[in-house]
Amino acid sequence: MQVIDKVEGKVPRLPDLFSWTDEGVRIRSAKCHDCDTYFFPEYHAQHRPDCPRENVEKVLLANKGKLATFTIQHYMCPPPFKTTGDITPYGLGLVEFPEGISVAGLIMETDLDSLKIGQEVETFDYVLYKDEDGNDVVTWAFRAVK
Amino acid sequence: MRDVYIVGTGEHPWGKFNDKNFVEVGEVAVAEALKDAGVRWTEIQAIMSSILIYGGNAGHLSGQYIESMFGETGVPVVNVYNACATGSAAIRMAYNSIAAGETDTVMAVGVDLSPKGFLTAKSDDPRQDRDVLRWRMTGMPNPIYWAMECRKRFEKYGDTPEDLADVKVLLSQFGAKNPNARYKKVYTRDEVLNSKMVCDPLRLYEICAVSDGAAVVILSADPKKIQSANKPVKIAATTMGSAIYGDPTIRISALSAPSKAEAPLLSESYSASKQAYEKSGLGPEDIDVLELPDNSSWHYLQYLETCGFCGEGEAHKMLREGKTQMGGKLVVNPSGGFASFGEAIGAQAIWQVVEACDQLRGRAGERQVPNCKTAMAQTYGLMGNSGTTILTI
Repeated sequence: MQVIDKVEGKVPRLPDLFSWTDEGVRIRSAKCHDCDTYFFPEYHAQHRPDCPRENVEKVLLANKGKLATFTIQHYMCPPPFKTTGDITPYGLGLVEFPEGISVAGLIMETDLDSLKIGQEVETFDYVLYKDEDGNDVVTWAFRAVK
Repeated sequence: MRDVYIVGTGEHPWGKFNDKNFVEVGEVAVAEALKDAGVRWTEIQAIMSSILIYGGNAGHLSGQYIESMFGETGVPVVNVYNACATGSAAIRMAYNSIAAGETDTVMAVGVDLSPKGFLTAKSDDPRQDRDVLRWRMTGMPNPIYWAMECRKRFEKYGDTPEDLADVKVLLSQFGAKNPNARYKKVYTRDEVLNSKMVCDPLRLYEICAVSDGAAVVILSADPKKIQSANKPVKIAATTMGSAIYGDPTIRISALSAPSKAEAPLLSESYSASKQAYEKSGLGPEDIDVLELPDNSSWHYLQYLETCGFCGEGEAHKMLREGKTQMGGKLVVNPSGGFASFGEAIGAQAIWQVVEACDQLRGRAGERQVPNCKTAMAQTYGLMGNSGTTILTI
């Protein structure tokens, strides 16, 4: 797997949360090898009590996971959330990755009525809005695997 | 440690008071509590006050502002913030100070004026404040978290939209009879089920509003004050809990959770209530009235299980069989709950205790639970913090 440092025309709204790779968008996490815990974001440590906290390694989570739970939001989230126009109704889900951590995010580009707990979803980059330089400002999001 | 009693309580009615500042709202509750306890202001030996996070410098030093209105006396004033459990922290500090013999009579005061609409991020630094991440990257207001947990219950235990609606119906019936409630309309199941869908499966009437309000308790171990008080209420336990590693709850602000549970859901509330049972020697079976944090209908169902009033997945059965209503084994939120009051972060935990005291002291009017001897107030709490208070008469 190769990490792609820069994707032309795309910038993340906040840094260090996901990476582009030749195998799709991956959530950035960190694993503590001492207490076998994964963190998200990678800089927010959540160790097991009494862990020596010495062997923490940055990792990328798998591109695909299972939908642990979800909701469909019918009201537009107020600022500081920002999108081009009103995106309601939009999906939000908690996705269980094979590593043992579940991560929350938008569910877009998916028929929301067909969502089911346990279904497979993939991580992708969703365009929130365009910045002044014409770049797509993106976040991580999930969609149903076709 | 010596026994500590609540000798007086006060409450400002809840609502939105745009023409008042927090000291003016707090003043009403403080004055009422002093009068109720028959205690003079100069007899208060310490003040534990809830911080208003949206109140600027004054909000962060709320106790000093309230003290100055009634007259500065030089006593210790401690201001505390623990999200929804802020008031629990104030009561616990008051209790510990008295029980340890440092002071005899202490006031715990909670006042809050909520900003309009959703409560959003309070800083701009994502590396320090995870709240910034969820507001900028995922568009997740608080009810989203509750909806996601609620959906899990639907799938696992078979809770239904009717159960969620019935919670609101029950609470609205109590709220209509509480003069201090903000919302006094009685709802039918159909009205709730026809309210707007906010975040599936939670509808508008199944999610609490944000309110302004104030509540005060005066605690004492002074035999004279206990004797002269009108029905003093004994604090059997007042505890706080934080989250336990491995808690699978997707907690507000967080964007991740462990997939495999190694601790109970809402482990902070589980911990606070477990400590309270151990400390008081009482158990869920002994409780007549429970004030639980119904931020949404999901909370109502979940907290019955989290605090051990029924087994996992059995809360809807208690609800459907009427066991949480007037006449049931356990009467839940006879105050009307947050469904009828709305939440006012810094004040709500103390408010729950005041409402529980009203039941124990036979002051609840048309909502009075007959023969109420033991009551429990349980909070929720952002980022894993919670408080439990068990009271007896």
